[in-house]
Amino acid sequence: MSAREQILGRIRAAAGHAALAPPRFIPGARRTDFAAFAQMLVAAGGEPHGPVTAAGLAGRVAERCRAWSAGGRVLASDAALVRLGGGPWQPVPVDADPHALADVSVAILCGAFGVAENGAVGLDGREALPRALPVLCERLILLLDTSRLVSDMHAALAALPPDALAHHHFTFVAGPSKTADIEGVLVLGAHGPRALAVFGIEG
Amino acid sequence: MTAALDRAATELLPAGPRLVAHDAAVFALREKRDAAGSAEPDFERLREYARAAKAHTLDHLDLYLERFEARATAAGAIVHWAEDAPALNRIVHALLAERGARQVVKSKSMLTEECGLNPYLESRGIEVVDTDLGERIVQLGHEPPSHIIMPAIHRTREDIGALFARELDVPAGETDPARLTEAARRHLRGHFLGADAAITGANFAVAETGTLVVVTNEGNADLGMSLPKLHIACLGLEKLVPGLADLAVFLRLLARSATGQPISVYTSLVTGPRPDSELHIVLVDNGRTRLLADEHHKRALGCIRCGACLNTCPVYRRAGGHAYGFAIPGPIGAVLAPALGRTAEQRRLPLASTLCGSCTAVCPVKIDLHEQLIAWRATDVPRGARERWLARLAARVLASPALYQLAGRAARVVWPVLSRRWPGNPAAAWLAARALPEHPGASFRARWRARRREGVQ
Repeated sequence: MSAREQILGRIRAAAGHAALAPPRFIPGARRTDFAAFAQMLVAAGGEPHGPVTAAGLAGRVAERCRAWSAGGRVLASDAALVRLGGGPWQPVPVDADPHALADVSVAILCGAFGVAENGAVGLDGREALPRALPVLCERLILLLDTSRLVSDMHAALAALPPDALAHHHFTFVAGPSKTADIEGVLVLGAHGPRALAVFGIEG
Repeated sequence: MTAALDRAATELLPAGPRLVAHDAAVFALREKRDAAGSAEPDFERLREYARAAKAHTLDHLDLYLERFEARATAAGAIVHWAEDAPALNRIVHALLAERGARQVVKSKSMLTEECGLNPYLESRGIEVVDTDLGERIVQLGHEPPSHIIMPAIHRTREDIGALFARELDVPAGETDPARLTEAARRHLRGHFLGADAAITGANFAVAETGTLVVVTNEGNADLGMSLPKLHIACLGLEKLVPGLADLAVFLRLLARSATGQPISVYTSLVTGPRPDSELHIVLVDNGRTRLLADEHHKRALGCIRCGACLNTCPVYRRAGGHAYGFAIPGPIGAVLAPALGRTAEQRRLPLASTLCGSCTAVCPVKIDLHEQLIAWRATDVPRGARERWLARLAARVLASPALYQLAGRAARVVWPVLSRRWPGNPAAAWLAARALPEHPGASFRARWRARRREGVQ
């Protein structure tokens, strides 16, 4: 008998009184405005910007890029380019070997939605391509429509686009990469981005 | 206390500042957990839901495992089943060897620690680099992790500076956590870019969608999963959750209970492999079905490995994780060890607790940890000859008022002598970092008689 059959057999033999599934969890009400989201993002070490208008976005992002990239490589996803137009950024070479992205200074991507409860931004697998980009880049900029804010993780997982899980990964990013493994002292930039900016876009 | 705990505790204890630093660092996490819990109005209801959801999932684990396997397979992953640690190690090694993988980056997984995967692969010529900063520190120092989520919390910045000066490109005397972390970042970036394969654990596996959920703050698991073309995820059977709605509850509890964050920095939902890549998922039993068959102890399988019970435990805080001699330290380790442990010493861990119940009070899935410890003590926990003799003696003394009074008189003579420091004091190890409490001087009965004589009611 295979390990699979043996393990499942033991589980069936052990099945107890078959506890019922609890009814759906109903979370308490909470704010879902950009200010509430921004407050949690700051607590996570991220930088909220805005909300800015669609027209004012490119200028503000370019300003952040110049301060962060110091002339280094800046890549923007196709969706981000639609929002930004031309500027100090290049399109992401989507079919590139991810190893070729190790020198990216700033990456600019569009978030699927933001979570007010914890300052996390949902990154769809089709947007974060190659998958390594948002963790390999030195600094990360995410663009987020303020109309796409949800209250909490219950709403966030219920709001996943229907085919979101058919694209290998969907990642919630809450702040820059961090560690506290040395004496519990917080350090930003453990492996991934040293900084994260989220631009809220109005209207 | 078990002999191992006693030994390790006396290693940590003479270094006073080290003990204080360890205690402060882990208790700071407990305080952050408390603050996060009280700031979240849903918190207590989430804990209750999590308990009920785990009980349900464990009672239908066969169904959810089959569903997970079917959905993950449909998404392009290959699912393997491992009976025990040797089976897991063989499966992972075969996957790596068949593809000629020599360099592996690994993100934190208590399961592979439990199964001894690293030494197994290393003895077969495969280099395994742990990429979580704390895990890399203990790996370079050739020691096991001492905490579930803070593997190097027993080390000071001076220890780590000296280690990095020896092993990495760091000047001698460097103790700044930011500069030490930067050195590790540079060092590990090279390993990420050169890796042939990535091994990760998983925090949850969603049956409804065949999705693995991997949570980190550092982003090391995400880097590993996104560079090499082979990803092997190793997880215990108990990681299953029914659906995304249940996942939301556990994600809201996990980071709040672990570090006081409302969510960790990276929460990745992984369904199937990347294009042109492979995803292998190994489901591991290694004693878990034995726990499942135990009506009382199966609740321990609800653990989501947040570490809250370690951070609050008076024994863990003072003894450190190495004292347990088991991959998972602290109260949850002592509850799991009798079923998952391999040695008699590990199976004795339920004896190493004060039963104060603080662990139970903080558990996000409401495992009755101290009740579990008591229940293990009533079973066949292996005990030494001295303990058995002492227990029999105590039973005799406590059953007889005369013997009890005699023992009290003897204790009043011996106590002050043992409390003093003198060469050859058999209590010297205890007194090295602790004081015996002040002795009342007279028995309760004597004091009661005195009060009656003085006319006090």
